[in-house]
Amino acid sequence: MSSAAGSLLPRVSTTSLRSVGSARFLWLVAALVVVVAAVALPAFRNPVSVGSLLASLTPILLIAVGQAVVVMYGGIDLSVGATAGLATVLVALSPVLPGGAPLALALVLAGGLVVGLLNAAGVVAGINPLLMTFAMSGVVQGVALLLQGTEGARIPGAVFDVLGASVGPVPLLAVVALVVLVATWLWVGQTRTGRVVQAAGYDRRTATRLGFPVRRTTFVVYAVSGLLSSVGGLAIVVRTYTADALVGSSAVIDSIATVLVAGIVITGGIGSVLSVLPAALIIAVVGQVITLTGTDSYYQTIFKGVLLVAAVGVYSLAGKKITVPWRLRQPAVARPADERSAS
Amino acid sequence: MTSLDTTPRQVPALGAPTLAERVARVPTPIWVAYGLTAACLLLLGLSTSNGFDPDRLLRILSNAAPLGVVAIAQTLVIINRGLDLSVGPVMNTAAILTASLSAASGASLATTLPVVILVGAGIGLVNGVMLAFTRIPPLLGTLAMATVVQGVNALVTRGQPRGVVPGELRQLADGRVLGLPFSASLLVWLGLLVVVGLVLTTTVAGRQFKAVGANPRAAWLSGVPVRSHTLTAYVASGALAAVAGVLLIAYSGSPSLTAGDSYALNSVVAAVIGGASLAGGHGGMTGTFAGVAVLAFLTTVLNSYNIPSPVQLVVNGVVLILMLLVNSRLAERKGRR
Repeated sequence: MSSAAGSLLPRVSTTSLRSVGSARFLWLVAALVVVVAAVALPAFRNPVSVGSLLASLTPILLIAVGQAVVVMYGGIDLSVGATAGLATVLVALSPVLPGGAPLALALVLAGGLVVGLLNAAGVVAGINPLLMTFAMSGVVQGVALLLQGTEGARIPGAVFDVLGASVGPVPLLAVVALVVLVATWLWVGQTRTGRVVQAAGYDRRTATRLGFPVRRTTFVVYAVSGLLSSVGGLAIVVRTYTADALVGSSAVIDSIATVLVAGIVITGGIGSVLSVLPAALIIAVVGQVITLTGTDSYYQTIFKGVLLVAAVGVYSLAGKKITVPWRLRQPAVARPADERSAS
Repeated sequence: MTSLDTTPRQVPALGAPTLAERVARVPTPIWVAYGLTAACLLLLGLSTSNGFDPDRLLRILSNAAPLGVVAIAQTLVIINRGLDLSVGPVMNTAAILTASLSAASGASLATTLPVVILVGAGIGLVNGVMLAFTRIPPLLGTLAMATVVQGVNALVTRGQPRGVVPGELRQLADGRVLGLPFSASLLVWLGLLVVVGLVLTTTVAGRQFKAVGANPRAAWLSGVPVRSHTLTAYVASGALAAVAGVLLIAYSGSPSLTAGDSYALNSVVAAVIGGASLAGGHGGMTGTFAGVAVLAFLTTVLNSYNIPSPVQLVVNGVVLILMLLVNSRLAERKGRR
C-alpha cells in the first residue's frame, strides 16, 4: 500500500501517511455517522440539506485547522471565536470604507494576522498561551463590539458575490477550506517549518537546544490560526448573512472539540491535521441531524461539551499520555521505598 | 584565662518578627497589586469632584461583591494549578434557580439558598471528580462543563428565564446595613474573603492546599491527600460561584442566561492581578481583594467618562496581558537569583 501511495504521492512521507492510517477508525466513525444519518433521515439526502451541511462545515473546518496547528505546536488559541466575530464585523464595514469590498476583505485578513502575531508576541514573552489568548479574546471582542456600533450591520451584496460564489454545486469557500486542510496537512508533515512545529510541540526544550527556530515558529503558528479564524468568520458571514461580534463564540469549543476528536494530543506533536476533516464532519452532521429532526438546538451545545470530555477520555484511555506543558501537573505516583531502606 | 566564654551570644529571636521583617517578607506581587489599586483609586478620585467620598467608594465595592466572591473561587482553583471556566454558567444557573424556586408558593430564602448553593457545589463536584481522577486538563474539562451547563440552562428555561426575585434578596444588594453606606453583599464578600484567607494561611489543611498547588508530587510524598484537595478546590469553586450568582441576581434583579458570562474572564484577571500564578501555589485572598478593587475602580472610572462597555472589555484584557507580563518577568528575576 505504501509503495502504491508512494508512486502516487512521491513527496508525501510515510509518517504522514501512517498518521492517516492510524486515524482509520475515526474515518470509519465519520462515514458511519453520515451513512446512518442519510439512511434514517430522508431530509438529510435533500440537496438543500447537503448545501447547508457544507455551509456549517466550512467555518468549523477552517477554524479547527488553525487550532490544530496551534495544538500541534503545544499551544492553544482561545481567541479564534472573537477573531471570527471581528471578521464578520469588518466585512460589514465595507460600505463605509473608501476601498469598498476589496479593502474590507484585506482588513479581515490583516485583522486575523495581527491578532495572531500579538498572541505569539505574548507567548514568546513568557505568558501562558492559554491566558494570553483568553485575554486577547476579550480585547478582540471589545474591539469588534465597538466597530459594530449600535445599528444592525448589513452585509453588502458585492461581498456576497465574492464569498458566496460556488464552483459547480460546491460553495467556493468549502473548496477553499478543503484546499487549506490538505495544504496545512502537507505543510505540517512535509516542510521544514512544519516539522519544527511538530518537534517543538513534542518537546519544546529539546527542539530549542537543537537550534530549531522555535520562537519564529511561534509567530507562524499563531498567525496561521488568526488568519484561518478570520477566513472562518467570512464563512460564517456567508451562512448567517449577519455581522455580529459574538457570532463566533461557539467556535472556541467547536474547534477545540474537533481537534481533540481528531486525535491531536493536547500536549502537541502527535496527530494528523488531515483527521480534522472526519472530526469536523461528525460534529457538523450531528448538528444537522439535530436541526432536521427538530430537536432542541440546545442539545447541540450539551453534545459538544460531552464530546470534548469523551474525546480526551477515549484518547487518554487509549494509552496516549496527557500531561499538558502549560499545566504541569504530575500524577502522584509512588516510588519504590529506596529512601526507607537508606535510613 | 578565659578560654571558655559561657555567656550566650546575641542570636536573632526566632519568635515574633519585627515590623521591618514583616514588610520585607511581603511578596512582590502584593506590592504590585496594591500599587495598582492605589493608582486606580487616585484615578477614580480625580475623575469626579467628590471622588474620594468614602460613601461612594464603599458603594463601588458593594457592587463588586459578585465579582469578589467569584474571584475567591477562581483564586482557590488557580492555587491548585487549575482554572475554572465554568464559573460564569454556574452563576447563571444559580440566578435562574433562585428566581424560579422563589416563584413557587411558600418558598423562602432559608430553603432556596441552600438548594442553590448545593447545586453549585454539585457542579463543582463533577468538575473535581473529572479533574482529580482523570488526566483531562482543567481548561478543557471546565470549558466542556461550561458548555454543558450553558446548554442545560437554555434547555430548562427554553431560552426565557422566568421567576421572581424576592424583596429581601434585593435588600442584600440595595439595602444598607444599619444605615452604614454599604450593603450586606459587601459583608458577605468580605466575610468569605476573611474566612477563606484565614483557613488558607493558618490551618494545616490550608497550608497543605497551597503545598499541593506548589508541588503536587512533593505534597503527595509528604502524605498530603492530593486528590481530595483538588476535589475541595472545585467543590468550593462551584459553591462560591453559586453564591456569586445569588449576589448577582440580588444586584441585577432579573435572571439571565448570559449575565454571568463575563465573570470567567474577570475573575481570572482579578486573581492574576492579585499575584496568583497558573504554575500553582501562589496567590491568596489579600492579593485577590486588590485585584477585584482594581477592576471595580477601573470600571467606575471608565463609566464616569461615558466610555462604552466594549472598551472595558478591551481594558480588562489589556490589563490581564500586562499583569501576566509583569508576573512572568518577576518570576524570571526570582528564578535567576
